[in-house]
Amino acid sequence: MSTSSAEDDLSEDQRRGLELIRETGGIHQSDFWKELDVSSRKGSRIVESLVEEDLIDREDTVYNGHNTYYLTPKARDLDFSLLMAGDMLSPFIGDEEVNPQSDAFTQWIMNLAYEE
Amino acid sequence: MAFEDLLEDPVIQKYLHELVGPKGMPVAAAPPDGEVTDEELAEELGLELNDVRRALFILYENDLASYRRLRDEDSGWLTYLWTFHYDNVPEQLEHEMHRLLEGLEERREYEFEHEFYLCENCGIRFEFGEAMDFGFECPECGSQLDAMENTMLLEAMEERIEQLRDELNVEPDSEVQA
Repeated sequence: MSTSSAEDDLSEDQRRGLELIRETGGIHQSDFWKELDVSSRKGSRIVESLVEEDLIDREDTVYNGHNTYYLTPKARDLDFSLLMAGDMLSPFIGDEEVNPQSDAFTQWIMNLAYEE
Repeated sequence: MAFEDLLEDPVIQKYLHELVGPKGMPVAAAPPDGEVTDEELAEELGLELNDVRRALFILYENDLASYRRLRDEDSGWLTYLWTFHYDNVPEQLEHEMHRLLEGLEERREYEFEHEFYLCENCGIRFEFGEAMDFGFECPECGSQLDAMENTMLLEAMEERIEQLRDELNVEPDSEVQA
């Protein structure tokens, strides 16, 4: 699973497409090719290759009354360090309920305010 | 071992540690390729079978491992064959980022809407109403309660909320539609 090398081999159009999906955080395929200024056929070929390289996710959806795909970046591209405050991980992990008044969360916010 | 690139991320290591605890960590930190039995893992890692099973079931509950059962025809004995699914880790953490954002947004409202009083002696914080009920004296030690600024907390929360929204592509005030 070496994402970086798959990215190295992308064509210019594929790279622009991937960037667009990452920047928007999610876009319908019918908007995707218009935004990239390529034909719909070329747009779907770009999407096909990005899905094949496991660089994006693609889901069936209905948008403006027609069937299309919704394209999203892979979750692994997210910055997970936003779950940390200092060296403390989000206290909601492993708990069923999110309790914003818990002592553990107060401690987490203190870390955020005074230790970062 | 599988999923090396994921396991290099210190946040992911911390996440697994949070789930399975220190005793389960040897199991969580070394996911094998393909299927493995709990006995094999215990032997390989030199751990108690119970600790291995406990860790595996926690991973199972968090969608990070699955098992299939095989019955031995002669003895009737059941063998559990485990597969690790750490490819689900990023989605789980994405979900946790949404939960954290939700918690921060609620807590910010609360911090914004209330005034607080502090007993510097005990380090206990009271809401305005509570402080008034106590006559602005600490119920523990009797010292005077002083008005406490929470600007630093608000600013820190504000900033992280922004970062999370940006990273998750959540529009401000979209809690209702989300």
